[in-house]
Amino acid sequence: MRFAHMADCHLGAWRDPKMRAVNLEAFCRAIAEMIEEKVDFVLISGDLFNTSLPPLDILKTTVQKLRLLQKKDIPVYIIAGSHDFSPSGKTILDVLEEAGLVVNVVRGDIVDGKLQLRFTEHEAGVFITGMLGRKGMLERSYYESLDISRLKGEGFKIFMFHTALEEFKPKELEKMDAAPLSLLPKGFDYYAGGHVHSPLETSEEGYKHIVFPGPLFPNSFSELEQLKRGGYFLYDDGKITFKPIQVYNVFTLDIDAQHRLPEQVTSDILERIEDKEFTHTIVLIRVSGTLEAGKPSDIGFPEIFSRLHEKSAYFVMKNTSALKSKEFEEVKLEQKSVSEMEDGLIREHLGQIKVSGDEKALIKGLMSTLDEEKHEGERKQDFEQRILAALDGQH
Amino acid sequence: MKGIVIYGDYGKILVRQKSGESIELGELLVAETPKGNILMHVYDLAYGSQLSQQHLELVSGITLEEGEDLEFMEPHLRNYTLAFLKPLLMISKTRTQLCKTLPDFFSAVREITQDDLRHFTKPKNPITLGKLRSGSKVLDFDISLDGKKVLSHHVLIPGTTGRGKSVLVSNILWGCADKDYCGMLVLDPHDEYYGRNRPGLKDHPKKGSVIYYTPKNPPPGCNTLKINVMNIRPHHLNGVIDFSDPQRQALGMYYKQYGQRWVESVILEKPLDVQFKDDTLAVIKRRLLYLFDLKFVNNRLFCNSIFDLQAGQTTIQDICDDLEQGKTVIVDTSSFSGSVELLIGSLIANEVLRRYRKHKMDNTLEDKPVISIILEEAPRVLGKAVLERGDNIFSTIAREGRKFKVGLVAITQLPSLIPREILANMNTKIILGIEMAPERQAIIESAAQDLSQDNRTIASLDIGEALITSNFARFAMPIRIPLFDDLVKQAGKKTVKQDFLGVK
Repeated sequence: MRFAHMADCHLGAWRDPKMRAVNLEAFCRAIAEMIEEKVDFVLISGDLFNTSLPPLDILKTTVQKLRLLQKKDIPVYIIAGSHDFSPSGKTILDVLEEAGLVVNVVRGDIVDGKLQLRFTEHEAGVFITGMLGRKGMLERSYYESLDISRLKGEGFKIFMFHTALEEFKPKELEKMDAAPLSLLPKGFDYYAGGHVHSPLETSEEGYKHIVFPGPLFPNSFSELEQLKRGGYFLYDDGKITFKPIQVYNVFTLDIDAQHRLPEQVTSDILERIEDKEFTHTIVLIRVSGTLEAGKPSDIGFPEIFSRLHEKSAYFVMKNTSALKSKEFEEVKLEQKSVSEMEDGLIREHLGQIKVSGDEKALIKGLMSTLDEEKHEGERKQDFEQRILAALDGQH
Repeated sequence: MKGIVIYGDYGKILVRQKSGESIELGELLVAETPKGNILMHVYDLAYGSQLSQQHLELVSGITLEEGEDLEFMEPHLRNYTLAFLKPLLMISKTRTQLCKTLPDFFSAVREITQDDLRHFTKPKNPITLGKLRSGSKVLDFDISLDGKKVLSHHVLIPGTTGRGKSVLVSNILWGCADKDYCGMLVLDPHDEYYGRNRPGLKDHPKKGSVIYYTPKNPPPGCNTLKINVMNIRPHHLNGVIDFSDPQRQALGMYYKQYGQRWVESVILEKPLDVQFKDDTLAVIKRRLLYLFDLKFVNNRLFCNSIFDLQAGQTTIQDICDDLEQGKTVIVDTSSFSGSVELLIGSLIANEVLRRYRKHKMDNTLEDKPVISIILEEAPRVLGKAVLERGDNIFSTIAREGRKFKVGLVAITQLPSLIPREILANMNTKIILGIEMAPERQAIIESAAQDLSQDNRTIASLDIGEALITSNFARFAMPIRIPLFDDLVKQAGKKTVKQDFLGVK
């Protein structure tokens, strides 16, 4: 028996169209590979889409690829994940199932308040069932009400799930909601996991193969930084292999800006990229630390981006979430009323810019004016005029 | 009326028992005075008689040998019981305060009633330990202390086997499970508190408030205990295994050079920048292999125990997060050797204290719950013999944990093995029956209240009876510990209607 197991494709996740296209391309390549590998079936352990109702362009390509599998008689077994599940029931997964492109294996009956899952039989001797994933790990209560007596029996049994497991959470995801392994029914031959964006293949007593493929394509700056690429697992008569999907190369730059000037950071980055080519590459630049002087916006990112694009980079991203400026350093305040906190913050930052007159009064006036909201029925133009007039009045 | 005051001094008031009445050791009696009622505690009993010793012997001889019932004087006036009392509290109409006066000569004393307790108010954040007991009688009055203070200032529970220590601890845990002000960590060497196959903390009605870790076959919803070797630092082994100075230095050097992968590096005999004797390195390798139950085959490491190279990366953090949320975490250590059990305790306790020290520095400690660590057979980590070899995290917590809202609940049959300094730091002691005099003496000498006259009272404590002495109580309070199974029965079981959206 030969099957492919993927999860967390999050199709439609990236906001930027170029990255969204890479994500979709990873899915297309994976399907092509699976067909080439002549798999008997495909498992998708949740979060095929990033939302329950994905954009039409994403959907169109997905349907095309699923139809390719259908034509080759390769069934796709899925479960809903925390992103593509909809409590209202309005999820595109249902449409795909109605169209015969996928089979949702989360089937069961409620008997005396207990959930008795039913198996979906792939072919003689292969039985698949599973549990959907919900936001905030609401599926935990499903597991707690599970009647596992019906899940015993002969054959090759697969349990699909979209839940992080406490015992196997990676360190960087320690804050992630997770359930203990003991909630999963024992005695299956393959536990096809999803939700955790980090690949893992392990086993425990009573749980033969516990497998998390991670995302098919990384879903954020930090995931790209850490994983560089996604992938899926291929099961081939007991042999389990991770199949990476590398659409573009990923180049990371981690810059320590501590005690340095923005110009120094800029030249450091330029120096590091100078003798390199970035064809077919996504470049990630992370800058952290507290600048000696100046602001993060003083770093020459436009110049850096432009140089990288000249060197044929496919896409460039920066992350300055851990970059601080001495001019606007973090101010710690005791928890007080909003107005007291505002006063405290203003006091902390007074004197950093040159203004004529009472700086504090000016800041408070600006805050008050910019806090104004558009009146009901007020035209945008009138609203702008009103705010501008109020601001003029403060000078 | 139970009797009248005859004479005595402060701390030793003699009361003659009225004929037909019965005064018990440990009983609470009340003497009414114009200023208020004086609450007193019976700490000893003796015979009293109007006859001389010689006459008493004669009367008993005649009764024994002649079979005659010889009467001297009126029987109810002739022989009687004398009770020795110490004053505890003055209860006036408006308040209660420590008693600083004696009751009048020939004051009548009576047994305590519910009405005498009307001014006793429940403290903030109450932790209920049992019902007030007067001798063997139990009053329908809950004895509660301020849990936040009590738990951060350490609790000692001494008592001989079978006197009710486990029931008391189960009750405390049951009471704390739904309180937000405290998180409880239980290192359970007998796997008795969760109650896999009998009533236990698993039956608590507040869902999700009790977390259970066990190395094997966890019940559904409970966690398999896995600890990643990379989370362990050399200092976690302090007090767990005795290493010589060179061995300790070698461990430190491996950590400095190889960071998280130091254990693996020791086993794989990776080179060090500093020269150590081969014997030293061989010993630490052997001991780490044994402690972590690792196998080294074909240049690869394999794990056989709870220590893992892949799983358990967040276990210690998860446990500490749960504790910080005021939950009760029970770790089943019943299948571990002593050193593995201590290592697990040490890992968690170190992280708890580290986090709370940081909270104090960040000025956020006030918002955090107290974390209390329950230590069974406490002398294993707090014993004089252990501490002579060097401090460990538990002795550090015993000394300075209260400043960081981290406390211990130390349970032992042999309190005399714990150094006096640490016993004195245990500001609340819940004393159960102890037969051995040296053990009683160790407790009496370190008690928050003067128990110098209560030696017999402690010796006579029956199963389920206890005496509480605490810096946060006005007087040493006798209690009856309720049966844990009754608490579980009273709580009953709630069923919540469950929806299964998304299941076809």
